[in-house]
Amino acid sequence: MAVTMEVDAEDHKPPRESLEPIPEPQLLPDLNGDDEPRSQSPREPMDTTSPDPTARSPPPVPESYAQTPAPIPEQKNLGPYKPNYQPHLILSGHSRSVSSIKFSPDGTMLASCGEWLRAYSDIPGLDHELMGYCKQAADKLIKLWDAETGDIIRTLEGHTEGISDVAWSANGDFLASASDDKTVRLWSLESNAVPRVLYGHTNFVFCVNFSPSSNMLASGGFDESVRVWDVARGKTLKTLPAHSDPVTAVTFNHDGTLIGSCSMDGLIRIWDTESGQCLKTLADDDNPICSHIKFTPNSRFILASTQDSTVRLWDTQTSKCVKTYSGHTNRTFCIFTDFAPGRKHVMSGSEDMKIYVWDLQTREIVQVLEGHRDVVIAVASHPTRAIIASAAMEKDLTIRLWIDQPANEG
Amino acid sequence: MNKTVTNLFTSPYPTSIQTSLDSYACIARYDPSGRFILAGRIDGVAIVWDLDTKGQARWCDGHVKGITCVDWSRNSRYILTGSKDWNVVVWDLASDRDPPRRRSTIRFDVPVISAYFHPKNSKIILVLLSSGEVYIVDQRREYKGRYELIEVLDESDDEGQYNRSRSAPTAVRFDPSGKHVFVGTTLGTVLVFNTRTKTMIARHKISGAGIIRGLELVASGRRLVTNSSDRVLRQFTLPVYAPPSADNEYIEQELEPTLRFHDPISKVSWRSMSYSPDGEWLAGGAADDASHKIYIWDLARDGLLASTLDGGRELLMDVHWHPSKPAIASCTNMGNIFIWHCPTEERWGAFAGGFEEVDENVEYEEREDEFDIEDEAEIARRKMLEEEEDVDIEGGVEEVDGPAEQSRQNGENDEDILWALEEPDDDMKTWKLKVLTEDEDAM
Repeated sequence: MAVTMEVDAEDHKPPRESLEPIPEPQLLPDLNGDDEPRSQSPREPMDTTSPDPTARSPPPVPESYAQTPAPIPEQKNLGPYKPNYQPHLILSGHSRSVSSIKFSPDGTMLASCGEWLRAYSDIPGLDHELMGYCKQAADKLIKLWDAETGDIIRTLEGHTEGISDVAWSANGDFLASASDDKTVRLWSLESNAVPRVLYGHTNFVFCVNFSPSSNMLASGGFDESVRVWDVARGKTLKTLPAHSDPVTAVTFNHDGTLIGSCSMDGLIRIWDTESGQCLKTLADDDNPICSHIKFTPNSRFILASTQDSTVRLWDTQTSKCVKTYSGHTNRTFCIFTDFAPGRKHVMSGSEDMKIYVWDLQTREIVQVLEGHRDVVIAVASHPTRAIIASAAMEKDLTIRLWIDQPANEG
Repeated sequence: MNKTVTNLFTSPYPTSIQTSLDSYACIARYDPSGRFILAGRIDGVAIVWDLDTKGQARWCDGHVKGITCVDWSRNSRYILTGSKDWNVVVWDLASDRDPPRRRSTIRFDVPVISAYFHPKNSKIILVLLSSGEVYIVDQRREYKGRYELIEVLDESDDEGQYNRSRSAPTAVRFDPSGKHVFVGTTLGTVLVFNTRTKTMIARHKISGAGIIRGLELVASGRRLVTNSSDRVLRQFTLPVYAPPSADNEYIEQELEPTLRFHDPISKVSWRSMSYSPDGEWLAGGAADDASHKIYIWDLARDGLLASTLDGGRELLMDVHWHPSKPAIASCTNMGNIFIWHCPTEERWGAFAGGFEEVDENVEYEEREDEFDIEDEAEIARRKMLEEEEDVDIEGGVEEVDGPAEQSRQNGENDEDILWALEEPDDDMKTWKLKVLTEDEDAM
């Protein structure tokens, strides 16, 4: 921990008191009615490299928001509910591109990790010298943030290369991280013990996820395989010969009986967890690189983002695409997609530095969140509250939290 | 969930051994979710196996003599172990440690033969002791106590008095609703008690059975199978029992088996038997002294022998069918637990999207419009129209209910059920077994 403090110390030594949220309820109506960016609004350009504490200090949060778990807004009239996400907190602390952000299952913490690979791997002709530089510069850290105040709670250090993905276990006891050092690390958050290192992948590990009962872990990477791990013993249970290109996402369904994987080969595969057999392959005619997938809460559908600037919802039973969401830009990076809080909307990062929110059913863009100053690589939705988190790449380096503030409320 | 995606034609019963868990066990029981196996060992330890990882999740060390019986509460949070050391221990798997916290230890003054949780409330426990006493141990505050279940005998009948000295319970079971307790005796009778009033409501004589060794009920509670000393498994259809009357009347009825299972050639006796989850199949574990054999009968087809599973040379001790899948766990005398499953063949066609495997050559008939050139705009428009349809991304998943909700669903809101649901345990579906990592050095 001592080493990691250096990074923290520079950026966040300023007295904690100054970061305390100040109750300022009258600010909220202002935010809604007024388009003029306020001085602390994240839209305002700011110098992220300077260790200025205000760079990540939040627009003050009213005490009421901080304390009471705000219910996900109910639909008031008959028309589809349109969210109104507004800037809430800006977290900065990573010195390199943030690659993945995930809320803890109870919503109190946000985990983020830094890396270079998700950003640069797809650029053709990237020479070795530059790759080497990027590797050295990679941030290799996992940071745990207080989702309420934006303070850094912990920094986990151990990986020797950049980290591409983090995942929480269902009860928040463990954090798993996938790294370019070809390992998956399993961090126990209760004990401060050294993480369990899972060796087995023969190339960069790119994605990781726990099973719903947290007894298993699936990881995928540039060795084109998916590995299923026994969390208790830290051993490989199965190796699935998953794809013919790097695996970009792997996930369990709601009851853990299925594993979904997707890859740069453009295919989405569904596997039987118990036998390790491939059950189904979903493929589009054009085979665009598949960036990320996620099962719907009932596992009937898979939400998949592809690098033809499209997010699709696939029906796993009929193997058909039932919804197409477009309007954003995704041609180069493996950008995350997720259901927004309330599960009525779909959201995705975009290479035009914005976050797009679509209505799940009508497929219309209902909100575009602007503020980041580089490609928005990761988005995550809060498990209980109407908050989304987003993270952007090199030129921005910030994680932003956005809170839904219904227009007809104060 | 898998079925919706795979739609495979699989056998309704297992066909081969998938894994062997080396566990020194003499008894093994699946939990109601089918995710775990609880193995009772002859050295007094009980092991919770995680079947996803085939690893030992918990090590319950609490008895000083061999374990005779194990049981799971309905949502798998609590486990029960009964032992020859005179104790029954209830363990709470939701506790964050290994061995898990003991919820209670129930002491008797003789070895425990078998013990079961009430299907609706784990605070009610049924215990059979080697002295031939049957107790319902109620751990709820209001009903706290041990209640012995005593056979009612016709006092005017001399023969009854004579029998009394000989008749002793040898097997006990709750029925799946928990309303009744079935007790098998040395005299070849099956007694039925009401769980709430502890009164005997029926006595069924089973002619020719000898000593009743075991009882199993089908999930619906309508059928009973008995294992007895005459080496025959008998299946009965049970009558509908009226609520207990005030004057403690009981039904005296001889039951005729609807089906009988025995091995006419080797005349083998049976260790234990287990119904398939749908009640269509019965697995019988043979007490063969040279091999590990499980017989599977098709109950829908008059008990036709469907299959014999041969598990090699380790003798069979115990059989238990998976709560939802065609899988069986069987224990061997060497302490291994065999997990039987039906293997599915890898379908290589699944690796290619939109690819269909056919068993034999099919003459392909071209559709009339198959190669017509369509306007792309028209295709896109149609696609957009198709996508108008609403999708349900949350529905179709089992809801988490409290016990009261469950009983309402079952439509069994009668007095007995309500009584059992009083002071419910905190065995909810939402609990999760905490994953404990093993020390790396210990590996």
